[in-house]
Amino acid sequence: MGEGRTMAREFQRGHKAKISDLTAGTDLYVGVQISAPGLTFDISCFGLDADEKLSDDRYFVFFNQPKSPEESIQLLGAQAGDAESFRVTLDRIPAAVQRLSFTATIDGDGQMSQIAPGYIRLVAGGEEVARYAFSGAEFSTERAVMLADIYLKDVWRFAAVGQGFDGGLAALLRNFGGEVAEDEPAAEPPAPQSAPGFAPPSGPAPGFAPPAGGPTPPPAPAPAPAPSFGGPVAPPQPAPDRSGFTPPPGAGGLDIHHAPTMVGPLATPPGQAPPFGQVPPPAAPPGPGMTPPPFPGQPGPPGASAPGNPFAQQPPPGYPQPGAPANYGLPSMPAQGPGLAVGMQKYREAPTGQRWTQQNPKMMRADLSQAGGQPVLARQGSMVLYQGKVDFGYKGAGFTGRIVGNMTGQEMQLMRCTGNGQVFFAENASYLHPVELQGDALCVSAENVLAFDESLQHEVRRIEGHGIPGGALFTMQFQGTGTVIVKTHGTPVVLPVTPTTYADSNAIVAWSAAAQVIVSSQVRLRRSAYPGHSGETVNLQFRGAPGNFIVVQPYEV
Amino acid sequence: MIAGYAPTPVAARMENHGSSMLKVAMQTGQDLFARTGSMIAYEGFVQYEPNPPAVRQMASAWLTGESTPLMKCSGDGLLYLADYGADVVCLNLDNESVSVNGTNLLAFDAHLQWGVERVKGLAKFAGQGLFNVGVSGNGWVAITSRGTPIVVDCGSGADETYVDPDALVAWSSGLKMKAKRSFKASSLIGRGSGEAFQIGFSGQGFVVVQPSEDSTDRLRVRG
Repeated sequence: MGEGRTMAREFQRGHKAKISDLTAGTDLYVGVQISAPGLTFDISCFGLDADEKLSDDRYFVFFNQPKSPEESIQLLGAQAGDAESFRVTLDRIPAAVQRLSFTATIDGDGQMSQIAPGYIRLVAGGEEVARYAFSGAEFSTERAVMLADIYLKDVWRFAAVGQGFDGGLAALLRNFGGEVAEDEPAAEPPAPQSAPGFAPPSGPAPGFAPPAGGPTPPPAPAPAPAPSFGGPVAPPQPAPDRSGFTPPPGAGGLDIHHAPTMVGPLATPPGQAPPFGQVPPPAAPPGPGMTPPPFPGQPGPPGASAPGNPFAQQPPPGYPQPGAPANYGLPSMPAQGPGLAVGMQKYREAPTGQRWTQQNPKMMRADLSQAGGQPVLARQGSMVLYQGKVDFGYKGAGFTGRIVGNMTGQEMQLMRCTGNGQVFFAENASYLHPVELQGDALCVSAENVLAFDESLQHEVRRIEGHGIPGGALFTMQFQGTGTVIVKTHGTPVVLPVTPTTYADSNAIVAWSAAAQVIVSSQVRLRRSAYPGHSGETVNLQFRGAPGNFIVVQPYEV
Repeated sequence: MIAGYAPTPVAARMENHGSSMLKVAMQTGQDLFARTGSMIAYEGFVQYEPNPPAVRQMASAWLTGESTPLMKCSGDGLLYLADYGADVVCLNLDNESVSVNGTNLLAFDAHLQWGVERVKGLAKFAGQGLFNVGVSGNGWVAITSRGTPIVVDCGSGADETYVDPDALVAWSSGLKMKAKRSFKASSLIGRGSGEAFQIGFSGQGFVVVQPSEDSTDRLRVRG
């Protein structure tokens, strides 16, 4: 087809062409221009598999992830008149990635019909070889558009797509979405396709260069490994792998010079059984309760084993008599202990069977297959281990109004755990307390929520008050049937609500929202300054019918 | 009060004193490697060699130029070790082997075989301090955990076990490991800082995790 080396081919929506017909190069520059007054756009590239799914999210190249692992797709930023640009090295794209979909999404409100005329263009060797121009007239209320694809069908091809998409970037992702499955692909071998080794440009195959034509000659894109783009990529350096055990080389003799200084009188010549505990303290009989610690390992000093002495297990004050050789060693110590399994025994996982099982005061296990397989919502990052088929999805960004208190960027991001398996939750070695609700309601300070059953109704409330860090206390009210895992620093105290129950807003963990009492009216804010205190503390007063309670932790956030 | 915390008689080479203190009965000829800076007290004649050449050589992957993370302790006496209040677990290896996250290693018998291991595919964690020390043989190892750890059996069925690298403490050496990213790409939007990576384990054995994502190496950070 086209001899389009000297002139860019104009593409219309739906047009396709082999890239080899456009250029002999495989190191391409993709530039996108899209704009609209008052709008910002996110321009992304999805590296899709043969099913047009994003099976590996590392091939979603966007503002947060500017390149794919082997850098075959790189986001370069605005340059040369383009609002966004990419470098695509076709012969380095792994075989699993068969389609690159270039998309533009509106960040925030707006619709595609507002956009000014824009384009996506393909540049090779500094020359524009293809251009697909579009304008707002082609779209209506869409918030995203799939602009063009570079895809593999026998050979790499370019297609002008120009298809609008209703949702934003997240919806687009979901559209392409798919579980990300596996670990790192070991350093990708060059794509097996007829790649003619890019380095020596055979004939006129152009090397990579951003298009000329900007006000200034475009500088080489910054993050590139080497200025010469044509050069072959250095293979990943083999890390010196030192796996496996190596027996330690003969321990160099004990260097006595490194020995820390010892207490003076102890410096007996080495090699000789040292008498421990030089001279007993001058005032021989120590005060009551101040008996010097007995020396363990001491084989029953004379006159030992007075019953009823304060040391449960040990004979009384035995400073060894001067001259008596200290016996640190354990002549009778069993040479071999119980083995690994025994040592681990007391830390073993508790047996399964329940929806929530407390493993120890700081760790909780949820069995997702119990209780009808309903999902668990948990604080992001609180999963320490899981077994089985469990899917984690983020809640948060799209969930803003309900969960997030955005005043100071203080937010609580939740993840949704679904599937069939066990998930262990813990955070920062906090104490965890499962609270099972059976139709009751509980308010928990958002910072103290670790996880909860999705079956619970939950909503976020704000308690505003001057002096509360961040301007407001965010609480989550839970209602219904299910379990909330509340975390506390230290052992909490549960107080009944009386007419005079106050708590520091920084230390409050939870309170019952039972009966007719509503949180916002139940809580009265008071400012009270303690002597020497900055006066910033906010106390909360609780009122309610008898039977209500509050939970306070010994820790002020 | 004073009396209540006196040391108990020695019954084994390594014992807990409370939940977060390790007591080691030292004997000549039974040297010990311990994390530099972990000694909190000792009785008797214990000598410390802060930069043992054996370790220097072995743990070069662990080093960033300063001194080695392990010191060699020898002599006779009682040695008390701790790591900023972390829980201590003593393990006795009976011709077994265990891999311990370097941050969570407190001490081990010098006669054990050991080496710094890198896990293939997890190189990117190295910057976060995820390297591990494999220890095997016949003897004692003490590991630390932020909060009481949990031991989970791995080998139940086809399902693999996935662990947050920051919560990983130790695992039995025979397990296969690989990096996994189980979250949907949408987690990348808005800076997904959560569970983006896990380490998957498969095979017969156990995994020890701590109830905290705090993997700071305090002994190293504070010298």
